[in-house]
Amino acid sequence: MKPVLVIAINFVREQRWPILVMLLWVLLLAFLGLTTEAGRQGEDLLFVFKQVAVYVVAFGVFFGSSAIFNDRRSRRILSVLSKAIGRKEYLTGLVLGITLASAIYCFALGVTGSWTLGEAGFPVRQVWFLMLCLLAACMLAGTVALMFSTFLNPFFAAGATAATMGLPFLLSHTSGNAQWRLVIPVNALAAAVLKSSFDAPATGSWLPIFLALGETCVFWFLAARIFSYMDIAVSVE
Amino acid sequence: MKLALEFDHVTKEYRSLFGRRFRALDSFSLQVYPTEIFGFLGPNGAGKTTAIHLAMGFMRPTSGNGRLLGEPFGHAITRRRVGFLPENLALYPRPAEELVRFYGAINGMRTSELKQRAGEVLEMVGLEDHARRNVSRFSRGMLQRVGLAQALVNDPELLILDEPTSALDPVARVGVRELLLKARTQGKTIFLSSHLLSEIELLCDRVAVLHRGRLVRLGRTDELLESYERTEIAARGINPNGFDKAPDRSSWNFGQDGIARIVVPREQQRDTINRIWDAGGEVISVVPLRRSLEEIFLEVTSGADSTRAGGVE
Repeated sequence: MKPVLVIAINFVREQRWPILVMLLWVLLLAFLGLTTEAGRQGEDLLFVFKQVAVYVVAFGVFFGSSAIFNDRRSRRILSVLSKAIGRKEYLTGLVLGITLASAIYCFALGVTGSWTLGEAGFPVRQVWFLMLCLLAACMLAGTVALMFSTFLNPFFAAGATAATMGLPFLLSHTSGNAQWRLVIPVNALAAAVLKSSFDAPATGSWLPIFLALGETCVFWFLAARIFSYMDIAVSVE
Repeated sequence: MKLALEFDHVTKEYRSLFGRRFRALDSFSLQVYPTEIFGFLGPNGAGKTTAIHLAMGFMRPTSGNGRLLGEPFGHAITRRRVGFLPENLALYPRPAEELVRFYGAINGMRTSELKQRAGEVLEMVGLEDHARRNVSRFSRGMLQRVGLAQALVNDPELLILDEPTSALDPVARVGVRELLLKARTQGKTIFLSSHLLSEIELLCDRVAVLHRGRLVRLGRTDELLESYERTEIAARGINPNGFDKAPDRSSWNFGQDGIARIVVPREQQRDTINRIWDAGGEVISVVPLRRSLEEIFLEVTSGADSTRAGGVE
């Protein structure tokens, strides 16, 4: 377990600049909430909060699609995988790293959101549940991207991830069956944040969260199977 | 006896996107015994790094198999007993000591153990004064020494080193050589791939030469270097003008000290000695001529000897 944690922490450390850039959005939200007219107009503040919240899913895809590629291109992966760590554990470390990076953002957003929305007069009981939805969405989106990145370059891996996440939404839209959204519930989880009004009492369902966690395990398993057959020493350029 | 490293008819083919195949290793067999320093030679593109990457489990062989410390290639737990230094080493940008501890932690070492060990290995490679400096500011030679430190951090039984001294200055190179010799006395096995033939000649108990994915020469270093084809005869008391040097294929060198050094093909050795005696000279020594590893390397990789393929000793 320790090597997995070491890989995860190393990933967060390597991604410190993107994480800091993400946190700038949270700071922007706090700034708007405190100093501008938008802070006094609750609806505008809520709009900014929702926007800032769903960005993290895109960051999850970015982290997942580039994690292996960066280590392979720089050849750092050779000195890591020459140690007593299997490829499965290495991928687990990356998934945990992506989750940690997203959790930092969600936590910061949760704190800032609770504060600013509370100041604007919104009931903030739902904020932490919505942050959990976002974190589950990030974890799943990052793992799907990681799975694709085991055999595609980051650009195509991100595209394939977007298609995979969008397909259930498209199917539910065309067939009229909302259950399709639960197949890969990234969209359903993001929608929970985007459609939240904060006026009504918390009514969110835990089902998409549990499904996202289960599907994360499935995609991690697929990623590990594919990655175990890859020649990692071959140039990725 | 359990072998440190074993390749058993390993073939590795790379395929391009368009299906074209390139065979990097062709039915490659090799056995490395415990506690020896083994030199692995070959020109660029011979397949040395491919063989090493297969042993480390970075890729799978197309056919054949191999064992690392008795376990199949790719067995993660076994790598806890292995230290590896890749060619063109790339490291995460952080202080040297922290980096060595990071690699030790991936190997499952305990934090308390690592604190002491990281300092020890950095001292071994002569970087104790730079332990807190970020490796992104290191020269290539210093990076290579950090690479050696991370390979040594887990006190491995087997060290696999791909070009470990290529970026080092002569002083550092001597340091690494001493480090490797000391490691052997501690019972470690060292598998050393290098282009620096003089290093291999000085360090290695056995060497293998790989060419176009096939093993073309394998043997004990001293045996390979000893030539039974030519002999150097030293003699004195010969008058250079009155001595019949022709018609042999020998080379003659009359020194200022009055000693003649004559290099002759082996079949002419007896005849040359007789002629020295007939001319009233005295034979001082008859020594089989030692070749350099460079000569052997050029000979086997230029095609002249490439038919001697296969893991024969």
